[in-house]
Amino acid sequence: MSDYDAIDSLLASVGPQTELPAPELRRGLRERAGLSKAQVARALGVSPSTVSGWESGRDPAGEVRTKYAYLLEGLSTKLTTDTDTATPAAEQPVADSAPHAAISPPPEPEQDFDDVETLAVAQPCVLCGAPAGQRVAGFAQHLDPSDCQAAPTETPKPPPAAPPAPQTQASPRTARPPRPAAANNTAPRGRAFQEPSGLADSIHEAVQTALVEHQGDVEAASAALLKRAIPDAMRLLDQTRKGARYDVIAHPWIPDILKKQTSKGADQIWEARPKWTRTALPPGRHEVTALDINGAYLSALKTHLPLGQLEHSTGFAHDRRRAGVHLITPPAWEHDAVLPNPIGQRDEPGPLWVTEPTLRLLLRLSSPKHGLCEPPEIHESYTSGSTENLLEKFRIALKDARDTALADGDELTLEYVKAMYSKFVSTMGESNYNRELYRPDWMHIIRSQAFANLWMKALKAHDAGLPVVRAMGTDELHVIGDWRRVFPEGRSVTEVKVKDTYTAGTDTEASTGQEQ
Amino acid sequence: MPEKNIDFGKFGAQGIRGSDAVARRLDQLAGGIATPVTAKRGLMARLHYLTTSDRTWQAAKDAGLTVSDRTLKAWTQGTRRPSKANLERIDAAYKAVRRRNVARHLTARLNRQGRGTRVEIHPLNQSGVARPLQRVVEHRSMNVRRWDTIVGSWAAGDHQGLDDAWTAGVLPDLGSQWGQYEYVTNIGFAA
Repeated sequence: MSDYDAIDSLLASVGPQTELPAPELRRGLRERAGLSKAQVARALGVSPSTVSGWESGRDPAGEVRTKYAYLLEGLSTKLTTDTDTATPAAEQPVADSAPHAAISPPPEPEQDFDDVETLAVAQPCVLCGAPAGQRVAGFAQHLDPSDCQAAPTETPKPPPAAPPAPQTQASPRTARPPRPAAANNTAPRGRAFQEPSGLADSIHEAVQTALVEHQGDVEAASAALLKRAIPDAMRLLDQTRKGARYDVIAHPWIPDILKKQTSKGADQIWEARPKWTRTALPPGRHEVTALDINGAYLSALKTHLPLGQLEHSTGFAHDRRRAGVHLITPPAWEHDAVLPNPIGQRDEPGPLWVTEPTLRLLLRLSSPKHGLCEPPEIHESYTSGSTENLLEKFRIALKDARDTALADGDELTLEYVKAMYSKFVSTMGESNYNRELYRPDWMHIIRSQAFANLWMKALKAHDAGLPVVRAMGTDELHVIGDWRRVFPEGRSVTEVKVKDTYTAGTDTEASTGQEQ
Repeated sequence: MPEKNIDFGKFGAQGIRGSDAVARRLDQLAGGIATPVTAKRGLMARLHYLTTSDRTWQAAKDAGLTVSDRTLKAWTQGTRRPSKANLERIDAAYKAVRRRNVARHLTARLNRQGRGTRVEIHPLNQSGVARPLQRVVEHRSMNVRRWDTIVGSWAAGDHQGLDDAWTAGVLPDLGSQWGQYEYVTNIGFAA
């Protein structure tokens, strides 16, 4: 008999499949409820990528389909009731008295939606939030996308007696895009809410403590803070790596090319520092603006850093998943009249050791999109598996502290943050001031990333038609013309500030741009 | 000790003994005169270091630099140059005295008032081992709290003592797989 039971249960499971809303609605529902894919996946016992699949067109089957349908049904009723209760009570009679005159007409019967039902009382459309007269698979929505935008203009305005409407959905808007649900969606799209780390607060606390210790004497507090910037940065790094996937490996074996030859000497890595001045200006006199890139080293902390010990390899093509240092023969550069050489002001010909950002910049410029040079020839490499996120939390914490300090006009914190990241970068190699981290490779890579970032800014200016006059060091870019339409002005890391303006060039002929 | 390697390198693994890596790292931390002893500048710096006080000179004598005061005077005044063998002895004596001098400070730095120092252990190199015989050996790190015997035997030039202090005293804290870390590529720590 038990055999027949099993067959019976099997037969029962074959019945009609539970209806699910359309794939694009599934995602909208989940996001409006502020749930992440991971949360949904955990509740259903599947992987987050499976949930992505369901939201982009795949259909679940079997028992999990029932569960998913139950979840979506619950979400839709919850969201509908939420918006209903939030709707001012004045709207209810309006919809009651003239439901069909106000809303878009019901669909023609020949439309082959098998699960469309007409609503007696208009409910907010799940897509645009405006009242809709139909429900598809349990979700109130407009059937015609044009209605989705146009319908709100036709709906009667709610009485202006309720101006402080808590929900923006209640007041109709004109010409809304099809997915404007973000108005009452507090969670950022595609990302679950994360607890603020409080790392930026710890920076502010350190500053406050130093101020209290020195009885408000800003100069003394600043000196004390600068003195402890390196250990503080290392502590912050440790805090940011809490629960992280990768360890910060501080003392790996280092190949000889990365070791200093003498105590004051340099190693063999070429960092591609730009030091370029345009040889001939365009004819005429020009107003040149010297721009300063804010927090260049702070932004450069986001780069591909090798995780573990560097391993040697020869003659292979570039592997995007690894990072390190490479011995390359750089390509010839023919645009020196208008753009700096991406490998910097190199006097000697021949192969040289460059870091990952420089190599990636050269590869990018040699790609068909830019086509500015030939691809570089890689001879040998010391690389390790890499990640871009190793210092990401560290960078974000410092950037947040910097932004807050800028908003408050807090110069002391600003100086402290600057000392933290700049000293962190400059002492992470073979320095006696920071013995907890011996990564000369990271130091070179971060610096090169700053130089590569500056180079890309020069290219951006050039592409926008601004003649580039000078590219110097990490953060100095001199351009002619209206740069404000290319770069936003300000003090945040995404903006630039003016260092200096001067006139150069002659009225008669083209001359060198050396004069300052 | 069941985890001990009996015939290291039989299947092509490469590495050095952990205690040697520790000694190398301690030497780096101790620092010293970078110019080689064969250059005049390096020689003079070493001789000055060894003759700063009677006690250091005595320590140099204990370390094997047994020359008369007359010879030393001739070397420091530059009238005579030490022979090749004596240059090596001077360098060895310099290293021994330097280690002895920095040992106390280094121990205090590494002990950090009982908090200890985090040590990274980079596993041996298996690139020369046949694929079926390769094993997963992970990068490990651990906190070492007491450095007195390690630094003490390093300063005394006692290789066996350092090896015992490291292999028998520290490594077993890694757990049952500590034998995989008897030979390493590198050991890193800061002071």
